Amino acid sequence: MVEMSQTLSAALRRLVVAVSLGVIVPVAVVAQDAEAPAAPERIDLTNFPGELVDKVVVPIPAEIFAVLDKLDEPDWNSGIQLPTANDRGGERSLLALTFGSLVAEGFIAVQAKNAEEIETIGKRVLDLSESLGLAPSVRPHSLAIIEASKNRDWAKVRDELDATQQTVRTTMEKLRDTELSGLVSLGGWVRGTNVVTSFISGSYSEDKAELLNQPGLIAHFREMISTMRGPAASTPAIRAIATGLARLEAIIGESGNLAEEDINQLRDISRAMLEEFYFAKPAP
Amino acid sequence: MNPRPRTAAIACAVLLALGGVAYAFVNEAISMALEAATPYVEQGFEVREDNWSGEVEPGKPLLIRHQLFRGNEYWFWAGTSWPGATVKVDIFDNEGNSVGLESFAKGSFAGARALPQKTATYFIRVVASYEKSGKGLTKAERGANDPVEGVGEFSGVLDWGLVYGYR
Repeated sequence: MVEMSQTLSAALRRLVVAVSLGVIVPVAVVAQDAEAPAAPERIDLTNFPGELVDKVVVPIPAEIFAVLDKLDEPDWNSGIQLPTANDRGGERSLLALTFGSLVAEGFIAVQAKNAEEIETIGKRVLDLSESLGLAPSVRPHSLAIIEASKNRDWAKVRDELDATQQTVRTTMEKLRDTELSGLVSLGGWVRGTNVVTSFISGSYSEDKAELLNQPGLIAHFREMISTMRGPAASTPAIRAIATGLARLEAIIGESGNLAEEDINQLRDISRAMLEEFYFAKPAP
Repeated sequence: MNPRPRTAAIACAVLLALGGVAYAFVNEAISMALEAATPYVEQGFEVREDNWSGEVEPGKPLLIRHQLFRGNEYWFWAGTSWPGATVKVDIFDNEGNSVGLESFAKGSFAGARALPQKTATYFIRVVASYEKSGKGLTKAERGANDPVEGVGEFSGVLDWGLVYGYR
């Protein structure tokens, strides 16, 4: 924590100095004045003379929602499906998945500009972080989410939701819980995929369907699940999620053009995955 | 309101938000990249909290895979904190074709913009360079006081950071 504070303080000190000296202001001008040397028109990805960075940054649902908003005017309020707090025990892998989905629910509520739901989600995020033992890190974000939603500052709410997820993931990684950190991202991605496919199913177009062309992310999640170790790896929920990812990959990996029926399948598969940890399972 | 103080105030607020309490793991290279991003936040770009960073030998290119969505506009900003080092960033599609529409490079930070023509995995190339070889910092870079022996000498690797924003 001390190291974090020192790094933060150093960064902030430099930023404040930079601002006060007017160093930052000219950056926009720099963007016009200092054009970079032209990039090569083409590089050989199969024989790249450098290092491929392993880390995968998973897009937040808001990135996809932004495109969907440009293509259509979805009724985002109808997409909010905050489940009643369920009791699936304290299994941390499921809590991590749920945390990611809950943050994604927050992004849906932001698109809907539904301050009441955002406030509820902000509180649920804090409750869940207590179950994960991460409440001290999450509390400031939770309060900021609620405050920003009261002020109808939607961009700020999005920033705080992103920051909440990032804080939780980084804290988990510091505690050597890298698997859990990945599950937070997966939970958010599945919930985002489910709501996007639900909307596209209702008003299909090829432009919208193209948003699901994400084979690289699915491959990343599949690899992440397959390398999980420990008791969580063999739980029925994680096995079901692994199967769900394989089914998603079979549809998305086949071609770049997804038909309406493909989208319906993606919606149903992602829903079934969410029923393993987030939504209640339908009565038999 | 005079535009310059206003811009500075916005920059300060944004940087505090991006690099402040909300994100306590900011490193120096990421901090530089966020400085480059600041003017674009005012233009409506939402900068992600997650990012890439590490250390690399000077001149050795780094390739980062990332999912982009057609319909969004993206800026990627790179930074390095080593005095005198430079950084450059370019964007390519999954066949290796350059797709950057605009770019800049100014010493410790750089940026590149793309409007993806399809939703797919793209590749961001970052190159951090440092021309000096083992001489450490120049007098100007050291400032008024000489560092103790070994401090400020180039260790052979540069720090780098990459952030992105979309709108």
